[in-house]
Amino acid sequence: MRPLDESETTQVFEKLFKFTGNNLKNIVESPSHEGPDQTPGRYCFRLHKNRVYYVSESLVKRATNIKRDNLVALGTNIGKFTKSGKFHLTIQALNLLAANAKHKVWLKPTSEMSFLYGNDVIKGGLGRITDNINAYDGVVVFSMSDVPLGFGIAAKSTQDCRKMDPNGLVVIRQADTGEYLRSQEDI
Amino acid sequence: MGDEQGGYQIDLGNLAAFGPHHQFASVLDNREDLLKECISHGTKLIQAVADALFNLPSTEDASGPVVSLPPPSTKFPREKPLPKPKPLTSWAEFAIKKGIQNRKRDKRVFDEQTDSWKRRYGYDRVNDDNDLPIIEAKMTDEPGVDPFAKRRSEKRQRVEKQEKNRLHNLKAAAKVGALPSHVQLAATALPITGTQAAPRKVSKDELQNVAGMAATSTASGGKFDKKLAGEKPPKHDKKYRKFLPVVEGSGMGSLEKQQSDKILNKLMAKNSHEIFNVGKAVDMYNAKSDKKRRNQQGKSSSTSSKLKVKKSPYKNKSTKKSSSIGKSK
Repeated sequence: MRPLDESETTQVFEKLFKFTGNNLKNIVESPSHEGPDQTPGRYCFRLHKNRVYYVSESLVKRATNIKRDNLVALGTNIGKFTKSGKFHLTIQALNLLAANAKHKVWLKPTSEMSFLYGNDVIKGGLGRITDNINAYDGVVVFSMSDVPLGFGIAAKSTQDCRKMDPNGLVVIRQADTGEYLRSQEDI
Repeated sequence: MGDEQGGYQIDLGNLAAFGPHHQFASVLDNREDLLKECISHGTKLIQAVADALFNLPSTEDASGPVVSLPPPSTKFPREKPLPKPKPLTSWAEFAIKKGIQNRKRDKRVFDEQTDSWKRRYGYDRVNDDNDLPIIEAKMTDEPGVDPFAKRRSEKRQRVEKQEKNRLHNLKAAAKVGALPSHVQLAATALPITGTQAAPRKVSKDELQNVAGMAATSTASGGKFDKKLAGEKPPKHDKKYRKFLPVVEGSGMGSLEKQQSDKILNKLMAKNSHEIFNVGKAVDMYNAKSDKKRRNQQGKSSSTSSKLKVKKSPYKNKSTKKSSSIGKSK
């Protein structure tokens, strides 16, 4: 377990910024009331076996007592670095992203299942969408009851979405909660 | 200072006093009396040292008078034995016999062909073998021989001969025991010049360590050298990296905080043009002014519009914008 170095931190922050915008400040500097200490510490990012974890300070301090080989995970896993050094967000970051998302998309109940099976969102399944989304922005996908389902990249801006035909791609899926069942070994 | 005070020799540099003319009055039988006499005599010597100390010129310091001691005058025996005289190398002997003097050579030599000052050796040197375009044939040359190859092989022979001579000189020096110390240290099995210590048995691990260090001290870190059979892979074959400490104090250290804040600010600044949505602000302003115009047309107000206090449109925009952002959170 080690903290991220500069290039790694830039990559992580940039990926997160795509989804959260200025709320990234909240993520990085939120106080954490975990642990027995009175004063709230902060959350920090730690790298362990090519996975990035978002952990509170008190937890990090205690996790140093576990041997490196025996430590499986700590805090919230938000993503991993590939063999070639690129950073990908995984589904476990959904909670964090949903709380601080800048652009949101709500799905109709009929197309929820399709999204959870791993398909991309088409315009016919779109319930609501926040305005001023640009193309290729990060977008968090919710169900109509405001339950976060996953996240992805907006294929078109909001204006273009209105003009599109009903079978056009709106959101390219990057991660969904169905992955917890489909790819249990990867997580 | 070899001060003679009351028959004592005082060496202030070593803070010592010697009483060379002391004689024990009588052979004392029991140890206690002997001790008493030694102590009493010792106190006299120490008193002499103290007197000499206080006679020195002192400077005032925060903790009291400070005195700088003179250099010591007692001669101690030599710590290490004298170095053995080095045997003359074969060239040195030849030079003495012929009376050849050692002349200092310049680093830069004037090159006639290019009319410039070039190095005597190294990159871009004066008489480089590779620069010769044409070698004129001499009468003594055989027809089938390549003169360029001949020059190269001759140079190689000269280098080999020189290397042989160098090793011969080193062996001659080692026989006498006068190896230069850097060569002595390089071979860990050999003792330091002059000492009689038995050569230390070097363990297998140590030898492998030294071999590994030597192997990686090439220009490319030993990456492209052919490995012999049985040679272990290097202990650390990647680049050395240093990371921030995992936990500093409790959790996040100041360095880590600084780094993440720096990156965060850079990112925010790069995308700060997106913070203020110009299009939205313009739309809101237009809508507001339309509404106001409609209201004014409807009501018949006594005061002219010019006297009315005009609220700054941008002030409203920012508050309106932040409230909408709060909702979308």
